[in-house]
Amino acid sequence: MLGLVGPNGAGKTTTIRSVAGILRPTAGRVTIGGHDMATDPVAAKSLLALVPDEPHLFEYLTVEEHLRFVGRLYQVPDTEAQIPVLLDEVELAGKRMALPGELSRGMKQKLLIACGLLHRPGALLLDEPLTGLDPVGIRRMKATIVARAEAGTAVILSSHLLHLVEEVCTRLLILNAGRALAFGTIAEIRAARPDLAGRTLEELFVSLIGADSPNSE
Amino acid sequence: MIGVLLYLTGRSARNRLLRQLRRLRTPRYLIALLLGLLYLYAIAEQQRSARSGADPSAAQWVHLLAMLGVVGAVMWAWLFGSERRALVFSPADVTFLFAGPVTRRWLIQYKLLRSQLPVLLNVLLWTLLLSREQFGASAWFRALSLWVLVSTLSLHRLGASFVRSAVVEHGRAGLRRRAGSVVAVIAAGVVAGWTVWHAAPDLAAAVRSRGADAAFEVVSAIVRQPPLRWLLMPFDLMVRPLTAPSAAAWVHAIWPAAGILVLHFIWVIRSDAAFEESAVEHTLARARRERPNDSARQPFFASVRRPLPRILRLAPTGWPAGAILWKNLVSVVRVRPIRGAVVTGIAAGLGSALLSFGAGTALSGVVGWLALMWAVVMLFVGPQWIRNDLRSDFAHFDLLRSYPVPGRSVIVAEAAGSAAVLTLMQLALLLLAYLAFLGNETMELSLTERTLGLVAAAVYLPAISFLSMLIQNAGAILFPTWIRPGPERAGGVEALGQNMLLIIAHVGIITVLMAVPFVAATGVQVLLHPVLAGWSEIPRAAVFLALIAFEAHVIVGWLGGVLERTDPASIGV
Repeated sequence: MLGLVGPNGAGKTTTIRSVAGILRPTAGRVTIGGHDMATDPVAAKSLLALVPDEPHLFEYLTVEEHLRFVGRLYQVPDTEAQIPVLLDEVELAGKRMALPGELSRGMKQKLLIACGLLHRPGALLLDEPLTGLDPVGIRRMKATIVARAEAGTAVILSSHLLHLVEEVCTRLLILNAGRALAFGTIAEIRAARPDLAGRTLEELFVSLIGADSPNSE
Repeated sequence: MIGVLLYLTGRSARNRLLRQLRRLRTPRYLIALLLGLLYLYAIAEQQRSARSGADPSAAQWVHLLAMLGVVGAVMWAWLFGSERRALVFSPADVTFLFAGPVTRRWLIQYKLLRSQLPVLLNVLLWTLLLSREQFGASAWFRALSLWVLVSTLSLHRLGASFVRSAVVEHGRAGLRRRAGSVVAVIAAGVVAGWTVWHAAPDLAAAVRSRGADAAFEVVSAIVRQPPLRWLLMPFDLMVRPLTAPSAAAWVHAIWPAAGILVLHFIWVIRSDAAFEESAVEHTLARARRERPNDSARQPFFASVRRPLPRILRLAPTGWPAGAILWKNLVSVVRVRPIRGAVVTGIAAGLGSALLSFGAGTALSGVVGWLALMWAVVMLFVGPQWIRNDLRSDFAHFDLLRSYPVPGRSVIVAEAAGSAAVLTLMQLALLLLAYLAFLGNETMELSLTERTLGLVAAAVYLPAISFLSMLIQNAGAILFPTWIRPGPERAGGVEALGQNMLLIIAHVGIITVLMAVPFVAATGVQVLLHPVLAGWSEIPRAAVFLALIAFEAHVIVGWLGGVLERTDPASIGV
């Protein structure tokens, strides 16, 4: 489970979009489960799920219909059986007939996550997935994401919530201005900078992006 | 406060213009702009060389048609106008203006000032597009007349939207408060309906005996008779400056038209109470709904949560892009009361068919011609109006691109959704026209020929609609900042010129695309006619459809590639 962190404009969403096949990388290759995103995008994308930062849902599809829609796109034969399970998991069972206009931002976010989990993806790309969720929702959603990761799903999670990243991610990629500043487990990143030993992740992050220097804003 | 208003509107317009100019560094935008300018230049040159001063009899028809066009625009605003569109404020407006220390009247003035930007753009376009021969000697007079007319219509649309909103949102109380406007509209509708009902037999008889010219004469006579004459007086005054043949006539005509504009301004400005009720509540309610974790929201879409018909059930497996097509069709069913429209259509069709055999031939004839006219109009404007395709999916571009569906399949599914709706609407109108003329034995075309025509429409229209929607979706992908994204097209009289340019571009492209299939298919039909006689229409249709399918295949492949390469940031996602 990889945590993607960086200041605003660092390139987190661009990275996620590149991995999801939305943007073509100017250099390098993206492969998902052995499928090259440039040459075999359909096979690569069928193993992926993207949960974008803005919960844009289709205005005229109900909660349940969103899941049916995604089920057909990803050819999930047991969609109908999975719908109640997933809606229970994201606490939307009581809203299955609701249209997006009747949902709060947090509920929309939960629905997007449920849509992402429906086809049991091999890789889950989460861009600020917990924005708008209440504390209980965040707790449950964290448990859901960790459970998927433990079951073998690769998770890339972009977030500004450093404590969340520290709590759930096994690896970190720190970006700034489109460049990777550090990559590895938190211990490995700390080991590479002995001068920052004993600091919290937040202090480590601030130092790495150079925001603690006298010249920084 | 006016300084702030001017600053906000002026800087927004300037920055928008600069952004559009920067976009011209992209070759496709530059080429499209040059083509557009070339077209307008050609029109302007044609105007310059045209003789000014119209043939008096032709000028009379032009005036009549322009007046009826204005009547149509006003009727449309009252019957089908969207109160929401007129009351839409951006999220930034809500944040800074609604919460700021400004009066509601100030907000209306801001709304009016902002609406002047599209008005001025359209005045410029129409000044170039309207014939110098028929619409005044001076371009300056024409521009000023158009500004007065378009601004009046824009104000009327806004005022109508206030009244509609008050009635829709507050029911009987809203009706009481806006009683004056509502009574005036109903009275006008009754007078107009009564006059048309009485004139229909004369009109039908004139068309039957002497053709379309006679129909114009009858219409002209009808609008000159009281009480319709008094009812149409304001429309007549609004159009007069535009069709004034000389400078002196224009000076006489412009004052009453300007007076009507001022009256509209007062009407709208005095509607600030209605505005407060409708616009503020509407916009703030929307803002509340969009606010995270707000448990006090009202279900906004509850009224459109209709159960899906059986035909719209989605199987979990099958063509993956079928999900996109399904979603787009569901959106139509959710937005429109389909069942009511179908029942009304069937009733109208059966009623017209029965009338066509009896004493109501004239009335069923009017219904038939109207239906036929709308079916033709839908060929041109339908692709812009019906937008349950990629144009409505821009906000979901990220998700759309992340799905395991090739770009070409996305294009096919998106275009097929809107093409299906357009085709069904056109066929329904043609069927209505067919039924309305069912018992009519005086038509030039026999019943058999009309039946074959209906069958031919069912064969050709799906292909033409699909090609049309491909063009519209191509426009959305290639020029996303020119094609208004979202389910609603740019509306109102303010956007008439822009929409017309888009229609011209669309008609030009589809004419080019259909020319080769048409010529080839007609060639095949001519060759086979000596052998197959009437049956040669079948190979003709087959060749035409095969060539259209080939063109569609090429366009879909190309657009699919463009879709896969499009950076979401370039379309503002």
